[in-house]
Amino acid sequence: MIKGVYFDGVTSDKKEVFLYVTEAGRIGFDGVNKEPLSFEMIKVSPRIGNSARYIELQDGAQFETDDNDAIDDIVKSLSSEKFNGFIYRLESVKRFVLLTVFIVVFFAWGFIQYGVPYFSREIATILPEDASEYLGQGILEALDESWFEDSQLPEVRKKELTAVFNDLLVKVGEENIVLKFRNSEKTGANAFALPNRIIVFTDDLINLSNSNDEIISIMLHEIGHLDNLHSLRTTIQRFSLAMFVMVITGDVSTSSSIITALPVVLLEAGYSREIEAEADTYALEKMLMLNINPVFFAAIMEKLEASHSSKYIQCRKNEENSLEECLDVAVQDKHESGKGDEVIMSYLSTHPLSKDRMKRFNDAAF
Amino acid sequence: MQDNDLGMETSYSDKQFEFTGKAMEFFSIWIVNVALTILTLGIYSAWAKVRTHQYFYGNTKLDDATFRYLADPKQILKGRIIALVFFMAYYFSSLISPIAAGIIFVIILLLVPALIVMSMSFRLRNSAYRNVKFDFNKNFKRAYLIFSMPVVMIGTYVFIVSQFQPEVAAGSNENPALSILIGVSPLLIMFLMPWWEFLITQFKVLNSKYGDAALAFQATTKDYFKMYALVILMPMLALVLIAIIASIIIPMTGMGEINPLDFSGLTVMAVPIVLVIILFYIWVFAFIQTKRTNLVFNNINLNGHQLNSELKVGYMMYLYFTNTLAMALTLGLMMPWAKIRTAKYKASVTSLTPAGNLGEFASMQQQNQSAIGEEIGEMFDMDLGF
Repeated sequence: MIKGVYFDGVTSDKKEVFLYVTEAGRIGFDGVNKEPLSFEMIKVSPRIGNSARYIELQDGAQFETDDNDAIDDIVKSLSSEKFNGFIYRLESVKRFVLLTVFIVVFFAWGFIQYGVPYFSREIATILPEDASEYLGQGILEALDESWFEDSQLPEVRKKELTAVFNDLLVKVGEENIVLKFRNSEKTGANAFALPNRIIVFTDDLINLSNSNDEIISIMLHEIGHLDNLHSLRTTIQRFSLAMFVMVITGDVSTSSSIITALPVVLLEAGYSREIEAEADTYALEKMLMLNINPVFFAAIMEKLEASHSSKYIQCRKNEENSLEECLDVAVQDKHESGKGDEVIMSYLSTHPLSKDRMKRFNDAAF
Repeated sequence: MQDNDLGMETSYSDKQFEFTGKAMEFFSIWIVNVALTILTLGIYSAWAKVRTHQYFYGNTKLDDATFRYLADPKQILKGRIIALVFFMAYYFSSLISPIAAGIIFVIILLLVPALIVMSMSFRLRNSAYRNVKFDFNKNFKRAYLIFSMPVVMIGTYVFIVSQFQPEVAAGSNENPALSILIGVSPLLIMFLMPWWEFLITQFKVLNSKYGDAALAFQATTKDYFKMYALVILMPMLALVLIAIIASIIIPMTGMGEINPLDFSGLTVMAVPIVLVIILFYIWVFAFIQTKRTNLVFNNINLNGHQLNSELKVGYMMYLYFTNTLAMALTLGLMMPWAKIRTAKYKASVTSLTPAGNLGEFASMQQQNQSAIGEEIGEMFDMDLGF
């Protein structure tokens, strides 16, 4: 006898009844005026944990009970099929659950580590060139409005660097990339590669350099971004990640979107570091090919980093201090304090640690 | 035993909702769902969704009977495929051509009211209690009327501004009335948002049915304005308080002397600031969720049977905070636990004050329903519940 409740399907009226099995293997309900039914005439709902179980009758009536084990016993004795099936067995046996945990962790890791970068690269190469073009449309105009001002560099210097750049393009076998100069107090010394094949240098970055080879090394890094279709790939990666998070958390209500946002931010930072490293690789290879000492890249990197330190900014506040003096102070300070939060930072940062980047180029120096 | 109406006034005591799910049990179901979803490249996700819903419905008890989710996974899969095609079309067209993306976006936008109606209908028709199904009256006309309101308002505003753009950009202050109009109208539109939310919720509730009985909604626009007024006023009050306290404490500790560029001073200040921001975020989220749920539930009435919800903001904040922390620390593995304890708490503060026997509702014949609306809605992250 299994205790449960019975609903006739016509109204919501509830009857407390007992389910029993006759000797002939028919199923009856004590408290309902109905002939016992054969097992083929009822439909038992699949077991899901210990949530309520339902038996549907042909006339639309329904029996509902908590007693899952008792229902399972009846099903086992009256039917040859393995009723609860594969899914419930997976869910209820600890070994299987543990196995699925490993499967999930393994696939999630593999997909994020290798799958997403691989597919984004493949798709980016398949897409027509227009894709990058459209992606970059309007970015320079938007930056001009909010971040950039006109460059203050002398025309002669701009012409010289443009000539150097065009010469470089020919040597590395690229074309249709435009070099632009802008002044920007907001971003300080910096360079940008826009997907529609525009590379922007800020005046501060040009002023930091002591030689054109330093600038060339940055140019190569930015060309590396364009050569590897990094903007397009980042966009596709972001899409794949969003899809992946949606699949994993598919059945979750949106109430905790902040939780899914955090790992996505971390993962994107990770992809971004990989992309920077790739652009570095491109720059390093081309520098070696063109017989430019990689040490120049390390030199400008060090200055670039120092120019963004608070020490440098503070020092520059005083009009009497020259750029070089302040750089020296900042670099000195960096060497002295060093270390610190590097371990944590390497996970959070969108760029590889500049120490590691410089080391790579210094090691290759000749 | 039997509740017969023999002219006797029977008083019915409140019936408490109860959630009987268990964290470990749901963890097993969830992780198997995720694994199979991955192994089938997402196809199983439709079955996973049904199984999860069935677990939660089947563990929600009221008056010794549970709720039941009846959707057919194959229908959900169909809906998901269509939604995915839409989503990808939108996403990749935005890469290649902003115009194409714009067109797809407008099409989706135009479909939103219909999708919401279809989605409500799909969900309710596939929900049952005591072997009687819920239902949703598909009033597309009214849905379009309500949902087009903000679009029309914002559209009109953008149109007006764009007409006078050159004048405003040129900085000519010849027409101060115009500048005031342009500056104030967004505030006006924002002010109307609570009213809009009220209309949407009212629409959803009034068109919902249990068996052959329609739900009634007793909330008023005033309740919604009150809720949002509190959301805006309370943080302002808190800020004033903090400012007063800070102006007393900071000079005392000499913290005001610190050079803003000195990093050590900055971290001292940054920690409490970040903490306050996180707390504020959780508070706003918990406050709106809590008050909104209470407001809706406490005003739903079904043939005299009254729903009651007494969620507490403080406890919801505690739940959200600890849930977030647990999930972040275990990379999401504690999600099932978080969902179960949230459902447990919500059920424990929800009850029904019956006006009589709950057996009075008659079943209605229904046709099958497509899941397309619900799935597209979910892909674009629309809020589809009450």
